[in-house]
Formats: sequence, C-alpha cells, structure tokens
Amino acid sequence: MKWLLFACKNVLRNRRRSLMALTITAVGTAAALIGGGFAQFTYDALREVSARETGHVVLAARNFFDGDEDLPMQNGLVGAPALAERLRALPGVRAVLPRVQFSGLISNGDKSSVFVGSGVVPEIDFRVRGMQTGFVAGEPFAAGADVPEIAIGKELAKIMKAKVGSSLTLLATTTEGNLNAVDAVVRGIISVGVPDIDKRLVLADVAAVQKLLLTDKVSTLSVYLRETADTDAFSARLGAELPQLDRRTWLDLAVFYNSVRALYDRIFGMLGVIMLVIVLFAMSNTLSMAVAERTREIGTLRAIGTQPGEIVRNFLLEGVAIGGAGALTGMAIAGAVTVLLLLAGIQMPPPPGRSNGYPLLINFSVWLYVSTGLAVVGVSVLAAYLASAKAARKPITEALAHV
Amino acid sequence: MTAAAAPVVRLAGVTKSYRVGETRVQALRGVSIDVNAGELVALTGPSGSGKSTLLNLCGLIDAPDSGERSLGDAKINGRTEAELTRMRREKVGFVFQGFNLVPVMTVFDNVEYPLLLLGTPAADRRGRVMAILSRVGLAGFEKRLPDALSGGQRQRVAIARALVKSPALVIADEPTGNLDSATAAQIVDLLRELAHEHRAAVVVATHDERMTSRCDRVLRLIDGEMQ
Repeated sequence: MKWLLFACKNVLRNRRRSLMALTITAVGTAAALIGGGFAQFTYDALREVSARETGHVVLAARNFFDGDEDLPMQNGLVGAPALAERLRALPGVRAVLPRVQFSGLISNGDKSSVFVGSGVVPEIDFRVRGMQTGFVAGEPFAAGADVPEIAIGKELAKIMKAKVGSSLTLLATTTEGNLNAVDAVVRGIISVGVPDIDKRLVLADVAAVQKLLLTDKVSTLSVYLRETADTDAFSARLGAELPQLDRRTWLDLAVFYNSVRALYDRIFGMLGVIMLVIVLFAMSNTLSMAVAERTREIGTLRAIGTQPGEIVRNFLLEGVAIGGAGALTGMAIAGAVTVLLLLAGIQMPPPPGRSNGYPLLINFSVWLYVSTGLAVVGVSVLAAYLASAKAARKPITEALAHV
Repeated sequence: MTAAAAPVVRLAGVTKSYRVGETRVQALRGVSIDVNAGELVALTGPSGSGKSTLLNLCGLIDAPDSGERSLGDAKINGRTEAELTRMRREKVGFVFQGFNLVPVMTVFDNVEYPLLLLGTPAADRRGRVMAILSRVGLAGFEKRLPDALSGGQRQRVAIARALVKSPALVIADEPTGNLDSATAAQIVDLLRELAHEHRAAVVVATHDERMTSRCDRVLRLIDGEMQ
C-alpha cells in the first residue's frame, strides 16, 4: 500500500503530463467501450431477430438443407403433427411451428410476378416471430377461411397493385409436377425491412399451401426455445433422439447475423488494437520522461539498497495508477454515453440492403468493462516496464552523475 | 577510534581505470585502506585524484579492475549485483553532496525508506525514524517535504536516512559541499557523533579543512595513489 501511495505521489509530480496521459487513456477506453457496447447491442438484437425468424432449432428430413429437389416437397418432412406434439412436450420448448416453403407465380389477372412463399400457422407464427409490428396495412390473417387469406410483401403489393381485400391468384407446381392454382384474399401487407424480400414475399396458412401443393408434408419444423442460450444443448439432444432427421440451429442459418458479426468483430477489434497502441505510446512517453528526469533519484535508491526489480515495480505501480485512473474515467464516460443514448432515442440509418433503421444503443457489459479495463492497465504496465527496465539496470555511478 | 578493532571495510591493492573517449584514465593505482567501526575517516585530495572512485568502491556501487575488497567478514569479489545490493541495503548508508532526497516523500518517508527495504515491521519503523529524526534535531519536521527545508535540514534528513538502519559503513561524498560554514560545522559534528554512537565506520570525501580537522584519520589521495 505504501508503495502504491509513493507511486501516486510520483504521478502527481508532473500533473499536466500525467493528466495528458490519463486523458488519452480515458478517451481510448471510452472509445473501445462505446464501440464494443454498440457491437454487442447489434449482436444481441440481430441474434434475437435471427432466432425469431427461423426458430432456435430447425428440423427437416434428410437432404433438405443440402440437397436439391426435382419436385416440390421431395425432401419434405412426413408425420410433422405427431413429431411437433412430441417436441412441444420437451422442457424449455416455447413453440413448435411447421413451415412449408413454396414458390410460383402470383397474379392479379392482368399481371403476374414471381413469389417466394411460406406456409405458416398464422395465429402462433406471427406472435412468436413478432411480425405484428411488420404489418404496414391490414392485419395477421386467420387459418381455415373458406377463401385462403394471405399476407404479401409491401413491394409485391405495389407490383400487384394490391390492397387489403384484393383477390390474387397463387400458381405453383404440385408435388406431382403439375400446375395448381388457388385464389386468395390479401389480409395484410407486410415489410420485413429488406426490399428484395418484400418484393417476393407471400405468407399463407400452412394447410392452404399443403392443399395447393397436394401434400401433407411440411418443409421444416421450427422449434422455439424459452432461452436462446439453450440452443446448442437442445440441438445436441435432438441429434441424439432424432438421428434420422437433419437439423440446423438459428446460428447456422443466420447469414446476415454472421456477416455483420464478422465485419464488426474486425472493425471494433481493430479499433481496440489502435486504442491500446495509442495508450501504449502515451504511457511510454509519459513514463520515459519521468524515468529520464528521475535517473539520479533511481541511482540514489539503487545505492541505498533498492533492487532493480523494485525500481521497476515502483514505475509499474505508476503505470497502474495512471492507467487505472484513465480506465475508470473512460468507463465513467462510456457509462454516461450509454445512458444518454438510451434517453436520446437516436436512430441509425438502415443497413445496406435494408429499409428500416434501428436505434443507436450501447450495451452495458460487465465482461467488456472488466476486460477493457484490464487490457488498458496491462498496456500501461507494459509501457512502464519498457520505460524503466533499462534505467533500473544502469550503473549506479552513471545514474548518480546524471544531470 | 582504535585500529585494534576488526576493519569494517578493507580494500587491498585496488586499481580502477576508466575509458574517456580513446584514452584510458587510471583513477586508482593499487590503493589499500582499512576503516574500523566507529572511525570517521576523511579522504582528501585534489579534484580528479580518485576520491569519489574510492568512495564508490568502498560503498559497493562500483567494481575495481583488480584488488581485494571486504565488508566486515564478507569478501566482495565475485558477488552478483543482487548480492551487492542486499549488502548495501543491510550494511551501507550514503550521504550525498546534493542530499539526494526523494522530493515527493515527506521527511518521515525519506528516512523510513531504508527500513521499508529491510522489511522492518511498521511499529518498529516508526519508533526508529522518530528517534533518529529527534537525534538530528528534526523532531516535528516529519511531515514536511524536502523542498520546505533548508540545505542544512535536508542534509540532516540525509544523515538520518543513512543511519536509521544502523549500518556498519557510511559513505559521505562532500556532505558539506553545499552548506554554509556554520551549518557545515554542525553537520560534521553531527556525523562524527552519530558515527561514534552507532559504531559505524564513516568514510568522507571532502575538500573542507574544517571537516578534516574533526575526523579521526585523514587519508590523502593524489593521482590515484594513497600518500
């Protein structure tokens, strides 16, 4: 404790220089925490969106994910209702939703366009996926209507000149290779935030789609868990219990999430490295000047019996004092910015390929704060070592003669 | 003091040279000295005669080219730097011409520092520091910083720092060089008294005639040779 007190007193010898090093350290720490916190917020948000979109674990028949189909539903899953019942009984499962992927042409009588559709269980699917907020007109459709009801993408609605209540015809290839058509009523117009998808998207009741395709198979069963963190364990359990099926986790299917994460990890990782290098230079500069100014003092302390390692330790403590104070100040700045952004409600512009922006928020992560603080203090200690190691081993007579 | 006591520091046939540019300067040429416990020895001679070099060798902060050294019963030759540092920590005190106090440490902290290095318990440290400060006439000054003291007071702090651990040997390089006459006389007397009280061998390099007249023995160096 006494040595730390001496170190603090030494830090205060040249207050302006120490304050400059502390400021640089604090700004670097704050920049790393704000950048890292923003990346973590983005990861968390995208993780939830991705998991909501696909389900935490997606089950399908063999070859569904990797194989090609000559006919629709060739690699479809048989016996889905019974399997779904069995899965719903497992602990930690929130919902099990069958989905049928299909595609074809959609027509308003005058004009046709390609669509990519999904058969869903509407009353559960929209709620679990949180899609109610995506409706720009109309409302989630119901299952079992006499005339099938559908929701279509916002851009597709423009192309089809469709409004809520408009009647459109869906034309698709059946499982037998023939063409089949069904008339449907537009009950909702939806946007998922990606214009290219909104231009093709059709959502329909799974039973109506099965009827259109002449099948009782489904493409996949999406299992929604109560906790995203349980995904890997649950997937492993399914692998053991249902080895005849293929399965993917949300992470396997989250192309956008993985791309953003890879990009942000590099960007913010580089920012962190730059920050640490700046801290290293600032601390090295400050402590090298302190060492140079105190060479005679080092000689005196060495003469009266201080080991070189103890001299270095004293400078390391000075590094800890400046780096620690800078890190704490940086944490306080980052914390204040986190709260301010929470209150300010600033929106980020839409990412490339997206039509919706998202809130600019920063996650508070104890792990991030602790690891960043330790890294900053570690770099400060390294700088102190580099600055003092040579001086501590300088011949005492030379150090005492230093002017 | 008497020469009958075992010498605290002994140098025998010590030589030391330095390279200055392309030239080699012979600082000491086969110097031998013994200094006994409680003895105050003055080392005099003109500038460049080798006084400081000899002090450095006595104080174990420099190594000779040849010759033997011992501190008490311990031979010095062949010791590692870490061992020499430990010996200085335990057995050698230093008083410098420029005081060389640590400016951010209080008087108390400066004097306590050698005891901290020795790992002396806190309660014992406090008692010893207060006692030596009282002995050098600085009771009540323990919380002051060196900058708030006069030159004489600073040198008293330096003497207290050198003697607080009761070393066997004290090395003093021109301890009165930065002081006025009256203060210098007080410092010399103090150093002499404390050397006798603590039974420390004190080697002082000095030009000061007032100092040499108060020493037990005066050694004169000229051109690196003892006269």
